[in-house]
Amino acid sequence: MEVRSVKKILVVDDEEAIRSLYKMELEDAGFEVETADSGSQALEKLETFKPDLVTLDIKMPGMSGLEVLSEIRKISKDLPIILCSAYGEYKQDFSCWASDAYIVKSSDVDELVKTVQRLLEERE
Amino acid sequence: MSELRKDPIVGRWVIISPERGKRPSDYATQKREERGGFCPLCPGNEALTPPEIFAFRETGTRPDSPGWSIRVVPNKFPALRSEGGGEPHSDGFFEWMRGVGEHEVVIETPDHNVELPGLPLDHIKKILFVFKLRMEELAKDARFRYVVIFKNRGKEAGASLQHSHSQIIALPIVPKRVHEELEGGRHFYGEKGKCVFCEMMAQERNQGIRIVEENEDFIAFAPFAARFPFETWIFPRSHNSHYSVIEQSQYRTLAEILSRTLKRIDEVLETPPYNMVVHTAPLMEGELPYFHWHIEIIPKVTRIAGFEWGTGFYINPTPPELSAAYLREVVLE
Repeated sequence: MEVRSVKKILVVDDEEAIRSLYKMELEDAGFEVETADSGSQALEKLETFKPDLVTLDIKMPGMSGLEVLSEIRKISKDLPIILCSAYGEYKQDFSCWASDAYIVKSSDVDELVKTVQRLLEERE
Repeated sequence: MSELRKDPIVGRWVIISPERGKRPSDYATQKREERGGFCPLCPGNEALTPPEIFAFRETGTRPDSPGWSIRVVPNKFPALRSEGGGEPHSDGFFEWMRGVGEHEVVIETPDHNVELPGLPLDHIKKILFVFKLRMEELAKDARFRYVVIFKNRGKEAGASLQHSHSQIIALPIVPKRVHEELEGGRHFYGEKGKCVFCEMMAQERNQGIRIVEENEDFIAFAPFAARFPFETWIFPRSHNSHYSVIEQSQYRTLAEILSRTLKRIDEVLETPPYNMVVHTAPLMEGELPYFHWHIEIIPKVTRIAGFEWGTGFYINPTPPELSAAYLREVVLE
């Protein structure tokens, strides 16, 4: 019998409401979720939590999401990363290409959940 | 004493205001940008870009792997989508159409630390050839009416990555700026029976005071009604309306004048951010007697403010004659 492990998602966002919303929706979809409220905390949790995928807010105080993305890519080119931003214009920033997907934030998190599922399935 | 100068092509007025500060050192305050950090355009990171459309690569290397010298990939997060048609729609008197288009990125070199003018001439020649190849390929799509090729260098010019690259966007419409040039050219041709661009070039060559560089096929000069300090245009000396009809022998001379002009700008303004745009005729048009393809290089050393936005005028604090003189003074190898 095939045993499928629960995939782990690290949600990085400085807004608590977003962290809670994403955690709730992704846990409902069957994922194990950990959160980080800053770039530096995200890099720490990358080591301890060892996520299968990261959702990353771009606009954060201190280290921006794009700086975190750059740091993660120095360690791993394969870890799926979804950039999330309230601002669509960051799409024009080629630094975003280091991520696997870009989502414009909204209260409807269906797109996020579907993108998480798609990226993890592609890697199976 | 300031002057109001009229652009002979589009009729745009510019205020040349030399007393507002004119020397290159007044502008050359940009700090060199850090070239570190992770770069998705570098060799080894091909998996992070969409699959390549075209590449010059070493024999035996596979697509989307290292071994390339120039690589063209679609934009990973495009503003315009390639699917669907570009039929016009209306909503009352508002017009709209689906956001149809192609957006490609030309990664000009595998070397993260080399800028375009620092590349060997043979390599620049190939980049210019890739522009033509992609333009011809995109022209096959009947939905597209125009292909714009441009390069942004530096954050202030809109470039988010330092790795040398340019961009190609195919559009279902002719952009307004090009439309204005076409209309200006058509109007002048209708009145005088001559190409306004050719006339402008003839006077520039005659006077010589705004010339920056010249070779057997091309001329680089600061236009009479330059909007910006050190704005420089590169024109082919023979009349052609489309970039894609450039002759094979001209890739080398174009590479040469482009490289030398950019080196002069880098030297005088201490590696400024800049935008470079190829202006060419629309795709569906045959050879036009009133339009002349050219390249515009605009160093980003001043900011557009309320007056410019409110009037469509530009205030240029450095007369183009002075810009050209500074650029000519640079001693190149």
